[in-house]
Amino acid sequence: MNLKGFLKYASEEENLFKTLFISLLTSFATLALFYFIGLKDIENFIPKYGIYLLFAVLGYALILLSARHVRTYREFACMSGMMIGMTIGMIAGFLGGFYIGSTNGMFWGSVFGMAIGILFGIWNGKCCGIMGVMEGIMAGFMGGLMGAMTAVMTLNDNIRYMAVIVFAISSIILFGLNYMIYNETREVQSKNKESDFFIIFWSLLLTVITIWIMVFGPRSALFQ
Amino acid sequence: MDNGIWSKERIIPMKSIYYIMMIILIVGIAGFFVFGGFGANETGNAINNNTDGNANGQAQKIVLGIKNYNYYPNTITVKSGEPVRIYLDESVVGCYRGFTIKDFGIAKYLKTPSDYVEFTPNKKGTFRFACSMGMGTGTLIVE
Repeated sequence: MNLKGFLKYASEEENLFKTLFISLLTSFATLALFYFIGLKDIENFIPKYGIYLLFAVLGYALILLSARHVRTYREFACMSGMMIGMTIGMIAGFLGGFYIGSTNGMFWGSVFGMAIGILFGIWNGKCCGIMGVMEGIMAGFMGGLMGAMTAVMTLNDNIRYMAVIVFAISSIILFGLNYMIYNETREVQSKNKESDFFIIFWSLLLTVITIWIMVFGPRSALFQ
Repeated sequence: MDNGIWSKERIIPMKSIYYIMMIILIVGIAGFFVFGGFGANETGNAINNNTDGNANGQAQKIVLGIKNYNYYPNTITVKSGEPVRIYLDESVVGCYRGFTIKDFGIAKYLKTPSDYVEFTPNKKGTFRFACSMGMGTGTLIVE
């Protein structure tokens, strides 16, 4: 593995650290704003939702970073494209499903996880055509269901530690994906540099939707 | 000679190091904010002698509900040798209605709040009760 080369590439060519920073800044600023406007008045807001919101935001930052990285090149070979669609679809679905499932239950966690997973799976998988799209749909579908199911089944069994473990493993997988993209595109010039608005928009949108669903959204009977 | 990130020819340029430091700072502040309440006990476990048994051989009646995604009361104490009848109220839903006490061979789906499981604990000690999938759990103390 050429980690030094990857770090240099991530810093200089693709500005991955800057992307991560912008996403986190946007999401946490949004969270802080909503918290001081009204969320702080909700009883037990931090103990009840804090850890899931924190890891959801961190997860979105890593997913958006990978999505932006993919969109810089847009075209990949079938094998790479399938892996990209599957990885992003699965991780987006699993994390979304897990964190919403923790606060809203199996049904709403699954619906949210599948929606996010399939959306990101298709969006990123299309870099290689229909195979990547198919892989993205399947992975998003499965990840969303599995994430919510894992959350509900660990509710009384160290779910907070599970939230940390799930995030840590997802981070390693997404790091691997970005390294794979670096390896696959070493000889290729970047085609499309997305503006920072892309990251700000998606971070803001995902954070707001997540806050709304977690705090005010519909929930299963067990979570009423 | 390569001295890592601090060498003249840095692997990661100074600008990116600033970004990394700011990321750590933001996540650290958010984490401190959140994990301040990390140790909060949300399960609300409570020892509750929720029994009204008597010496006439009537069952010790226990009604369990749901609080913070788990059975409530979470710890119940019963007397050995006297029949115990456990009900699940209307707040208990889904797979939580499949009630089990492995040590006494109890496994029954209590479809309505008027359904119950009845058994006579013939051994003293501390036992676990749980839903059929093991997601909701609690403690049964037999004295």
